[in-house]
Amino acid sequence: MTDKSQFAQRLRHAREEMRQVTQGKLAELAGLPATAISHFEADARKPSFDSLRRLANALNVTTDWLLGRTDEPSSSGVVSRFHRDLQNISESDLQTVELLVKALADKNKSGS
Amino acid sequence: MLDELKRQAIEKCAGTVLEDDQIIALPVKPVEIAERRGILVEPKPSSAKGVSGMLVKAGDNFAIAYATHISSEGFRRFSVAHELGHYFIPGHPEAIFANGNQHVSHAGFVAGDPIELEADHFAASLLMPRALFVRAMDRRRDGMDAVQGLAEVCETSLTATAIRYAELSSARVAVVVSSSTTIDYCFMSKSLRTVKGIRWPRKGRPLPKLSATLGLRKRPGAVDSREADSTDGDTTDWFDSDHELSLSEEVIGLGEYGRTLTVLTVDEPDDDDDDAEQSPQFLR
Repeated sequence: MTDKSQFAQRLRHAREEMRQVTQGKLAELAGLPATAISHFEADARKPSFDSLRRLANALNVTTDWLLGRTDEPSSSGVVSRFHRDLQNISESDLQTVELLVKALADKNKSGS
Repeated sequence: MLDELKRQAIEKCAGTVLEDDQIIALPVKPVEIAERRGILVEPKPSSAKGVSGMLVKAGDNFAIAYATHISSEGFRRFSVAHELGHYFIPGHPEAIFANGNQHVSHAGFVAGDPIELEADHFAASLLMPRALFVRAMDRRRDGMDAVQGLAEVCETSLTATAIRYAELSSARVAVVVSSSTTIDYCFMSKSLRTVKGIRWPRKGRPLPKLSATLGLRKRPGAVDSREADSTDGDTTDWFDSDHELSLSEEVIGLGEYGRTLTVLTVDEPDDDDDDAEQSPQFLR
């Protein structure tokens, strides 16, 4: 158990202890294939961001908590950016990140 | 270079997205795919060079920013589709967070980072879905005509289209990209690789002296003004080849990229073998 990833452990914990639903029910709630949950909990497959979001929504936790990046199920970790050409990153790119984060925060507040 | 199993898995991943969104016609619209997932998509200011694209995660919300300093719509669409690859491909969150809060890599088809190669292959598979691409390809004459026609219907760049064309064409074709008087990289179709005695041109191999490609590169302004040219030659001009097989060479300047794209279409060979690998390859 302990050699499993935090994601696998937390997914199972949230499903069994916090929401008390079966793997099949969670798959249905998240819109994922029925076998996906057992594979994730067994650490046999790694999630995508899309799967993480679906699971987090269905379990009413955050993607960052599922990933082990925060200890509170309802809180989020720091902003992450993912890109190529790091050597080309410019001051303007960093400003773009700031603007996007603000836009996402506004969107979150408005609940859309 | 991604192995064939990984390529298939990523193509399937892109196929699932297309199926979920009930996309059955070209062109595929990556911005709409993102927006259906609530992913914010924003252009970067056109004056800003910097990175070609980025995926930003803030809490459970995501945004994609893409570069606009290169005027090609195909480049922009590919950049958005590439970032969608990072969003949809299993294992990419783990790859990012193993590296802190950002993933460091370098751009282009020649990048060695598997995460970037995977996102590139996802983008190609999403924007140029195999079945739709092959159907459109079969209606066109082999060579540059096919590449240009497919780029138009898929709304993809000539280079990305040509690489997908080399991957999926049943014709004996090779796609060569050059940024100087030598070869940067080359993709060969499966059927060309089955021709006995033909070996890949290595990176840095000089362009053939009498080729249209070298001629175009030497003409001042020809690459920037996207001039095209063609000629006939044979396989020994371009490859380490045991046989002289006739081929047609078609080249076009790629404008602001400073590169040329060459499509070589080889005539029917005398001899085949079955030792083909499954995907186009790049040799450094």
